[in-house]
Amino acid sequence: MKKYAIALALSGLALLLVPSTNGADNNSVTVWSWFIAGTMDKSIKAFEEKNPGLKVNYTYYNYSPQYITALKAAAASNSLPDVIGLQPGSLTQQYREQLVPLNSYAAKEWGDDWTSKVFPVALKQLTMGNPPGDSSYYLLPQECQVLAIWYNTAIFNKLGLGIPQTYQELVNAAKKLSDSGYMPLYQGAADGWQNENVFLMIANQLSPGLVEKAQAGQAPWTSPALVSAMEAWSKLFKDHVFQEGALGARAYPTGAQLFAQGRIGMMALGSWWMQESKFPPPLSSFIQNMSGFDFFYFPALTPTGKPSPPVGGVDIGYGLTKNGAKNPAAWKFLASLVRGDALQQALNDLNDLTSFNGFEPQGEITPHIKQMYDRFVADLPHAENQRIAHPEIADALDNALAGVASGTVSPEDGLKRIQEVTDKTLK
Amino acid sequence: MKNGDALAALPTLLAAARASQTWAGRAGKLSRKNRKMKNPAETIPAAKRRRTQRPVLRYIYVLPAVLMFVVFVVYPILWVISESLHGRGSSHPAAFVGLDHYWELFRDPVFWRVLLNMFLWGLITIPVQMVIGGTIAYLIERYTARSKTFFRVMFFLPVITSVAVVSIVWSQMYAPYYGIIQQYARVVGIHLTTSPLGDPYLVIYALIVVNVWQWTGFSMIMYVAGLSNIPTELWDAAKIDGAHGWQLTSRVIVPLVSPVTRSLLLLGVIGTLQTFPIVHLMTDGGPDHASEIFGTYIFKQGFVIGDIGYASALSTLALIIALVLSVVQILAFGARLSPNRKASR
Repeated sequence: MKKYAIALALSGLALLLVPSTNGADNNSVTVWSWFIAGTMDKSIKAFEEKNPGLKVNYTYYNYSPQYITALKAAAASNSLPDVIGLQPGSLTQQYREQLVPLNSYAAKEWGDDWTSKVFPVALKQLTMGNPPGDSSYYLLPQECQVLAIWYNTAIFNKLGLGIPQTYQELVNAAKKLSDSGYMPLYQGAADGWQNENVFLMIANQLSPGLVEKAQAGQAPWTSPALVSAMEAWSKLFKDHVFQEGALGARAYPTGAQLFAQGRIGMMALGSWWMQESKFPPPLSSFIQNMSGFDFFYFPALTPTGKPSPPVGGVDIGYGLTKNGAKNPAAWKFLASLVRGDALQQALNDLNDLTSFNGFEPQGEITPHIKQMYDRFVADLPHAENQRIAHPEIADALDNALAGVASGTVSPEDGLKRIQEVTDKTLK
Repeated sequence: MKNGDALAALPTLLAAARASQTWAGRAGKLSRKNRKMKNPAETIPAAKRRRTQRPVLRYIYVLPAVLMFVVFVVYPILWVISESLHGRGSSHPAAFVGLDHYWELFRDPVFWRVLLNMFLWGLITIPVQMVIGGTIAYLIERYTARSKTFFRVMFFLPVITSVAVVSIVWSQMYAPYYGIIQQYARVVGIHLTTSPLGDPYLVIYALIVVNVWQWTGFSMIMYVAGLSNIPTELWDAAKIDGAHGWQLTSRVIVPLVSPVTRSLLLLGVIGTLQTFPIVHLMTDGGPDHASEIFGTYIFKQGFVIGDIGYASALSTLALIIALVLSVVQILAFGARLSPNRKASR
């Protein structure tokens, strides 16, 4: 009897150890992403209402470390869900072998000229990091973004400040804000992504598109324009344009909370900042309908530079895994997410900008928000690329920016380090 | 060690600490009991004895444990070692590169920074946590009566607090402008101009302070268990013999709680090599790798950059270091870690 009990227990254990399969059936779609769960629920609801009988199971993860860890583990065990959230460049490239090219899916769904509806910067980013000759789209963009310097209009009005037109005016505005007890330009410099964003705004005002060439090995990172950009980056710390202690600060949640509370004058964020006004109450008076905020682009930070052009690209996109390719409902949902009812829900929540021309937020949108949204969308067609294709190069850039900001690395040496990593990566 | 692990292990650790203090009494009792016991062979029925003597059955009994060990420990270790000898990629066969990743590691300045940071981490956190934890435990045990439990819980609270919460709170404490430390410093006219988390020379020490704050309670509870098992007669005898102050500490208390100290040393070394969430959440190894440790560097290489081979080589080296340090400690005082060492003599 005991033997049977042991055998039964072992069988039970073995059953527990058998990996579960993700794709349940062709009527349900499994989706993983870091996309805000409340908005995704609305998107799913809209999709399911339009497609009775289909069900979407969404799993939300924090981006790091949960999401990238979950993806890596699932890829290694061939148990990725049907649809996964992606960013162009390094994240997509890591899972390229588990994804199916979406070119033919999109052409069948929206016609051969579907790419003409996608903003150019987004389209260009879709193939970033692909092997030479591979023009497949392994992700489709859901939302785009434009980077900007947001500022608190109430604080600026109170202190009699205008939008800085020169670097000196930016320094003066920062000083006035600091002297009045506010944080000037808040930089969460412990976050590599925020440093990258600001550096790209600076570099593109000195030589538009040069970073993109440098990361592709078509121009040296040590080009004079990029050295100047690195020096300008360093000066933002030395001249106290950024708040003191910026290198130890995080953009989220700390910076965003302080900015929303009206304790910060300016912050380098992007068009996604508008979504704060759609969060559940209580909201600060500045955040309600974004009435206390507006944005501008950096003025020329060097004597030879020009004001920053718009910089941006894909905020989030989605890929269809090889598991998902076996499930027709998976593509149906993906199509809805990037250009359908599900996308419309995300736009209504002001999550970010559309990637496909012809969509705009609907519902309770104030004229002030509409006007800012339209300005962003008008800038998007000429936005410079904000994405780095290879994670090694992005990591080297992050470390060089932190080293230069802390004064332990000179701008030239920092750029040389990036060049070495680029050479090794592209070899 | 993670919070959950600490909580789960707590009863066992307390029991082990207590056991180590009461070995002498138990040894006597056991030997007396053993003398009274019958020969085990006489008490087991012959049929059952034959069954237990079947070699195949014995192997079946240990099979589940062995299987679990092979699946969850041996296989992952072998997989990581194998990956460390291959090029990039985790989902398809990658090219065999031999020891290339290891040679590359030794030429990688970040790897040496990781080793230095790990050394500093262990060198500072382990003794500081022991001294502060031991002192708090002594004060609680000797100078509090009815409020003992209250103080034990209060000092243990950081151990069971979420690391995410600890990280956010300490990041804000360190911050100039709006930080908690800045608020108090302002009262005496001090204006903080930088956060230690953004200073490449201070960042590792700033993180060590957070770690010490969080884990001192664990050392404290271990020492509480050790101290509470010192017989009252021993305290009285030491007092009658005139021992007090430093003499009492160095000649009586420290030797009597030495099994706890050795356990904490062993756990501290392993815990140091396992450190990850505090650094990942507060600095992510930055600025410019200044606070990089094994956990964050392995995570970056493996999960962010996607270089599984290089991350596996780093993991293998971390494993070898952990193994060597553990073996050295077990060889040095392993027998003395066992609560039954004298009982078995």
